[in-house]
Amino acid sequence: MPLNIAVLVKASLDPNMLRSKASREVDVDNTPLAISEYDKNAVEAAIQLRDKHGGKVVVVSALTWGPLAKRSREIEQVVREALAMGADEAHVIVDEALIPGDPGATAAALASLLQKLGGFDLYLTGEAAMDMMSSQVGARVAAILGIPFISYARELEYADGVVKVKRDLEDRLETVEAATPAVVSVTGEINKPRIPTLIQIRRAFRKPVKKYSLADIGAELPGKPSLEELRVVAVQRKNIIIEGESLEEIAEKLIDALIKEGVIKA
Amino acid sequence: MMRALLYAEKPSQLPELAGFAEKHGLEAYVLVFGSPDEVKKNSFKAFKRVYVAAAEKPTPDQLAETLVKLYDELRPSLVAAVAAKNNVDAGARLAAWKKIPMFTEATVVELAEDKITVKRQVLGGRAIARISSQLPAIVAIPAGVYSYSGDTGAETVEIEAPEPRIKVTAVEPKKHEAVNIEAAEVVVGVGRGFRKKEDLAMAEELAQILGGVVGGSRPVVADYGWLSEDRWIGISGKKIKPKLYIAIGISGASQHMAATLDSKIIVAINKDKNAPIFQYADYGVVADLYKFLPILIKKLREKLGK
Repeated sequence: MPLNIAVLVKASLDPNMLRSKASREVDVDNTPLAISEYDKNAVEAAIQLRDKHGGKVVVVSALTWGPLAKRSREIEQVVREALAMGADEAHVIVDEALIPGDPGATAAALASLLQKLGGFDLYLTGEAAMDMMSSQVGARVAAILGIPFISYARELEYADGVVKVKRDLEDRLETVEAATPAVVSVTGEINKPRIPTLIQIRRAFRKPVKKYSLADIGAELPGKPSLEELRVVAVQRKNIIIEGESLEEIAEKLIDALIKEGVIKA
Repeated sequence: MMRALLYAEKPSQLPELAGFAEKHGLEAYVLVFGSPDEVKKNSFKAFKRVYVAAAEKPTPDQLAETLVKLYDELRPSLVAAVAAKNNVDAGARLAAWKKIPMFTEATVVELAEDKITVKRQVLGGRAIARISSQLPAIVAIPAGVYSYSGDTGAETVEIEAPEPRIKVTAVEPKKHEAVNIEAAEVVVGVGRGFRKKEDLAMAEELAQILGGVVGGSRPVVADYGWLSEDRWIGISGKKIKPKLYIAIGISGASQHMAATLDSKIIVAINKDKNAPIFQYADYGVVADLYKFLPILIKKLREKLGK
């Protein structure tokens, strides 16, 4: 039996490319979006399962950061990365009402889209998105769809309608089984996401990316909290690069500096 | 008094919940899983009533299903738990069923009559978000923020735990080392710049001279398995607050740096002068660690007389 897998992917603000204003507010409009780190692991896991069992990998995503006009094209680039890795098609929701994102609204929209797209055997996503790190969307989608949810998977196997997962908890690893359809969230340890080749990237442009508004998918959103402030944490470091004629001299200068700072004792 | 439903997957989380209830003056009903005897030792007076479901290591669906029953009975304005993985998982399900907001890792929680405002670390710890919402809502508070030392003796009521829907077929405890990098005064961090596990001996030697411990970034711990998870410095690992943090061969991903923000002095040693780590460092040395570390170790021995 072929295995149809939906992967929930977030176009996250990229924490490594953070832009901020003089007021220390995060400059959301000018911080680029990127595919969320652990969602890449979910895409990789999905591709591996499809290659073993047949079926297809469908990527779904919802735009949660504005401005909408500019981001509408950017989210397309983000899901194309998953397509370049090997996913078969992508479906994205672009609607002003989802911006800025909230796990409740995003999950409601994604669940509606998934229902519209028809049944999948397995739904995969990352344990948390790298921007807001809420760890909620997978659980919420499973709850809305009324199917099992298994979180924090660091190993995942599928056979005959059953997923077997090793869950990574604070104090233990738990092996659990559930009948599909089920939603599984994966950790960064589950695999090493492949890096697409240039040819794969080019080929990804021929794969379909469909866009929807909330009206298109008939989604009803729960009340949304308001994001009142997003401020960069001030990092005040001395940023002194120690230079010298030789490594010996640099080592001595470093040791002297650390003694002066009182963090090592001569 | 605001009515709250607090929940814990195990009794050891109850003191933190009691501290939270006390701080916010909550009328706190508590759901906890575990043995009734163990729970009695933690049934603090800060709680109005403690419901005990006698199941050890409950699955998130057991937690969530019991939680929703009590939620419907008690109609609380607030639901709260410690942000442990299973608690977050269960809370998110309740949030979806009840169509209410949930805030994970809420480092600051402010409650008004019908409104909640939280502050959360976001973007790999590089930014703080302030978010507000109407109640009811769910919050998951970071572990280790609240504590309580009051008396026990709250009313306890035993309830039944539902059968788990997910079949648990094996449980293996994680191995822990006798090392606490979170409390260490000096931490030597190792990253991908080290070519093989044996080379970490240099970092060990450096840590030993400085009376510190060795920790590592994600690749070294999670990908290569050279160090145990107890030594993983990162937003998904441990957060450190030493006087001195020496990051060696670490590029400086935001998830790593977020866990080191509270270090007093950060030293970075990396051969790539463009590595982001230098932005986060007080003192930077652009050098090949294989050449520099032996010299630094030798000079330190001379200076410190060790």
